[in-house]
Amino acid sequence: MRLKGAAVVLSLLLMSTALSGCGFKDIDKRFFVVAMGIDLPDEGKGFKVTLRLAVPSPKTEPGSAMSQIETIQSQTIAEAVRLAKSHVDKELDFGHCKIFVLGEKLIKQGYNDVLEWVTRRRDVQSVSYFAIGRPDAATIVKVQPPTERYPGNALFLAFGTDGTESSYSMTAYAFDFGRRAEEQGLDPVLPLIRKEKAMENYYITRIALLDKSKMVMLLTPQETQLYNQIANHFGKSTVRSKVDNNNMVIAANSVRSHYDIVSGENGTHTLRLKLRVSGIIEEAPPGVYDQDWGKLEAGFSEQTAAEIKTMLEKIQKAGVDPFGFGLRYRATHAGSPKTWEAWQQIYPELQFDIRVKIHIEGTGLVR
Amino acid sequence: MLNRIETIMAQAKDLNTHRIQNNTITIEVAYISSLCDESKVSDFILVPFLKDELEFQKNISLNPNFIVLTDTAKWSETLLRGFVLVQLEGTVYTLDAARVIRNENPQTQVETAIMGSQVSLSEDLIDSINIIRSRYPSPELAIEERTVGNCSRTRVSIIFDSRRVDPSVLTEVRDKIMNLEVDFLQAPGQLERLISSRKRSLFPTMMITERPDRVTSSLQAGKVILLVQGSGFALILPATFYDFMHAVDDEYDSFWMTRFLITLRYIGVILTILLPSLYIAVVSYNPELFRVQLAFSIAGSRSAVPYPSFIEVMIMLFMIESLIEASVRLPKYIGSTATTVGGLILGQAAQQAGLVSSIMIIVTSVVAISNFVVPVNNMSTAIRFLKYPLIIPAIFFGLAGVAVGIFIYIVYLADLRSFGKPYFRFIGPTKRHSGDIGQVDQA
Repeated sequence: MRLKGAAVVLSLLLMSTALSGCGFKDIDKRFFVVAMGIDLPDEGKGFKVTLRLAVPSPKTEPGSAMSQIETIQSQTIAEAVRLAKSHVDKELDFGHCKIFVLGEKLIKQGYNDVLEWVTRRRDVQSVSYFAIGRPDAATIVKVQPPTERYPGNALFLAFGTDGTESSYSMTAYAFDFGRRAEEQGLDPVLPLIRKEKAMENYYITRIALLDKSKMVMLLTPQETQLYNQIANHFGKSTVRSKVDNNNMVIAANSVRSHYDIVSGENGTHTLRLKLRVSGIIEEAPPGVYDQDWGKLEAGFSEQTAAEIKTMLEKIQKAGVDPFGFGLRYRATHAGSPKTWEAWQQIYPELQFDIRVKIHIEGTGLVR
Repeated sequence: MLNRIETIMAQAKDLNTHRIQNNTITIEVAYISSLCDESKVSDFILVPFLKDELEFQKNISLNPNFIVLTDTAKWSETLLRGFVLVQLEGTVYTLDAARVIRNENPQTQVETAIMGSQVSLSEDLIDSINIIRSRYPSPELAIEERTVGNCSRTRVSIIFDSRRVDPSVLTEVRDKIMNLEVDFLQAPGQLERLISSRKRSLFPTMMITERPDRVTSSLQAGKVILLVQGSGFALILPATFYDFMHAVDDEYDSFWMTRFLITLRYIGVILTILLPSLYIAVVSYNPELFRVQLAFSIAGSRSAVPYPSFIEVMIMLFMIESLIEASVRLPKYIGSTATTVGGLILGQAAQQAGLVSSIMIIVTSVVAISNFVVPVNNMSTAIRFLKYPLIIPAIFFGLAGVAVGIFIYIVYLADLRSFGKPYFRFIGPTKRHSGDIGQVDQA
């Protein structure tokens, strides 16, 4: 009896080895998509999807990164991806697709279809990055920087905090993008990746502000840095001012910002924003140590405040809210649809009261 | 008497029977020469009898080493234990003259400690008790003796601290030993399997040790020790999972380093159980769990491997298990050759031949090495098996399957009892008399 039972179990086990069904797919039988670009098609409707597939190699040396590019045009993204599967010999896996690039033309027309696909598909990671590609996403995805150790590495390192941390770019995660696209009073922000002609490299210096369906405006690099300082308290940044025709730059050590929405008399509202930056002078004319630091600080503060105010008014005019002022207003007022309606009235008329306090910790030299 | 003995043990060539006579009386002496120390026989019986300075009859009754044996059925058994039988005027006396061959000055070999005791328990019961008693000089130390085995008649000692022991455990042990049905008992491991409540347990519920310091600290914690004649190992019960992960050094060495080592052991156990199944699950189901670099390099090194990941794992595990088994079985002098050949050459060659990936070599060696950080050998052997059942859910269900497998193990552990005491209890110590398991509690 016992032997019979053991035989049954054994034969079941043996048979089941042949059944290593649908989910089971060895790592070497998968094609990892490392970057995905989505554009408008050159002609007709639908999407043009560009996939950068990593060709794995056991060696990781600079310049040894190999990848394969597939471009497919179809009515929908999902169909395009299925079509791409028939172009390649292994199963596509988006588990390591850390960056999604949306073409500039596409994002100017609307991004909601893309976001739907990304949030629904299960093997797309919520921590993947989003960016806008200029002139289009395919160009960005096709770039193969000569220093890459493995496919996609350069793009992965450009975002997040693993590699370079620039105050002129920012990281937009898929989960955050999805949240901002839904949330009332907080609008999406995406970095813009450019490719210079004849150079196999990326340039990420500007960010784009989006409303709930499309791109609205681009910030200049200078404004991008200000945005990072206010919204993300980005420490590795600089503050510049011009004193007596001399450019002076402070490298920030700590950035703190705080804002309140204060309601004034006769229904006006003021946004009172405080920004505190302390850092060390990185570039200055000689003899700065003996100057009056209080005066220098005041000069810095004044000029920065003016820059911030210009930027905020520009953003206000465009009708987007990347900082989440509206969300703050909703959070501090009664949670009813009326509050949101009230804010939509308030925001275009909002006054800005910017107070910047720059603190010079040192001149960067031991005297 | 002699005639009867000779008929019972007719086949025994080493049976010595003498009928000797001096001026006054005649005695009959019987003993098995191979089991007895013949100088004792002559010192205690032959010489006093022949000199007859003190009347021999008086001598025998005064000397407490001579014990009267009335039950004739026990003659052969007593002889076989190395006793001498002396018949004097119709009364049979016994004298212990046993000579036991054993390793002199036994050194700890299985469970070594750098700064702990270097002497291990002896293969002889009396010597072991000597070692224990000298380290546990307490009047409360109680020693009971039982005989187990229809054929082997193995002596088993039950040792405990009568003040600290948990009475319920003691009663259960006594009952179980009393009711054992076995022909031959040779080792404590066998005894453990006989008296444990689950016959096919995945985990040992009693600890087997050769270290006298572990024995005495367990006695102090109110545990029961079983010694088996002929084996230099003691059985400690009840035990918790936690006990198995502690080396005796943990109480002797630097505090922070030993805490670190304890953590390391737990991590080692988790790794050795999980790595093979995790490798299958991650490589074949969820490669997004790796960092990108690792995923690509695994994919690259696996591209030469023709078989699915679980075949690869099975090949490597088969190799490493045979290697371990071979190095246990091989004579010491060839042992190192086997490890060199197996470990270095075979592993490297298997990878170059494209049979396994280079990551799999690392997985295998981590599995093998971290298995041996468990200080108690019988637990380490039990853990060696645990990785295999987990491979099956990993093949079919990936990471989710592995998670379910771990859950099943934890439930099983939590359900396990060691002599009525919860086995998988991490938090302690509790008071000895609260009826819970006594754990080493240093005041």
